Amino acid sequence: MSASLAPECNEVKERYDSCFLKWYSEKYLRGKGTEDECASLFKDYKKCLTVALKERGIDQMLSEARADHKESDEIHMRRKCECLPAADC
Amino acid sequence: MVKFFETSFTYDYSFPAVTLAYFLRYPNPYSTHVLSTDVISRTVDPSSGRLHTLRVHRKSSRLPPAVLKLLPKSVLGSVRGGRSESYILESSTIDIKEGWMKTESKNLDWTGILSVVEKQEYRRNVPANESDDFKVDTGTTGVVTTVIFKSRLGDRLRARATRKGEAALGEGDDEPPKRSLLASWSTIGIQRSIEAIASRKTENQLGNSKQGMTIVLERLRSGGLVGVLDGMRRDSQGVLKSG
Repeated sequence: MSASLAPECNEVKERYDSCFLKWYSEKYLRGKGTEDECASLFKDYKKCLTVALKERGIDQMLSEARADHKESDEIHMRRKCECLPAADC
Repeated sequence: MVKFFETSFTYDYSFPAVTLAYFLRYPNPYSTHVLSTDVISRTVDPSSGRLHTLRVHRKSSRLPPAVLKLLPKSVLGSVRGGRSESYILESSTIDIKEGWMKTESKNLDWTGILSVVEKQEYRRNVPANESDDFKVDTGTTGVVTTVIFKSRLGDRLRARATRKGEAALGEGDDEPPKRSLLASWSTIGIQRSIEAIASRKTENQLGNSKQGMTIVLERLRSGGLVGVLDGMRRDSQGVLKSG
């Protein structure tokens, strides 16, 4: 199994990963996986990971990645609006 | 400035096997630079049955020396030079009924210098057959990969030069705008070079990621899920030894 970026989360991650793989291969891929059976294990893993992401400043990068997306969308939208009155831009 | 790259490929494995290999593709012998993989979120859409996953991969990487040489010191100053790790955000959506998977990966850091977005679309080539669909060796799966490179370095430098130029114009001095024009020419050159180098590097890496997927799929065919996990264990021990 792949390691977590935070060694202290490896154990909870492995428990979640094993659960997910079993559910994915035995249920989801057979069209029977309508709900996530590993939710409680994911909660434990997520709790550990959230702290680790914060400590390493990755949570910041994640929110910046989203904000960046928004910003460039706004620029493109604005350009479009500016172009509308003038026919030759 | 944007550079664009597209390639398609067909795996001789069923669609379910390819999606499983996608989740299990790290570690493999062709991806020793991938240090960790974490799941940020994972949900099943109750109405469509689609599985959405958001993951973060940590990779050991440096900017290629050729790129470093091109960067002005002012830009390198804002980058932690000795840094040898970077983070990739990967989102994927799987629709098992319709037989497709769409993925998008992009770098989370170094984005001020170069942002790379890789999109993949996997499609089941053979219609679903309920009795043998999950057999890993039935059917094939097509994948189209597109990579977009965008160096924003010049945009930033140009913005700075323009601001300086405007400020100087206010003071009635018309020399700085000329300088900013020259500055913008040279940064366009740098952008083009960075994008060209990144694009060549990516062509190699796309080959590696295909080989990595194929190894995982082969393990799945010969040893099932246990075979994949055993292989992973061996590969991660290899990573530890070499690291």
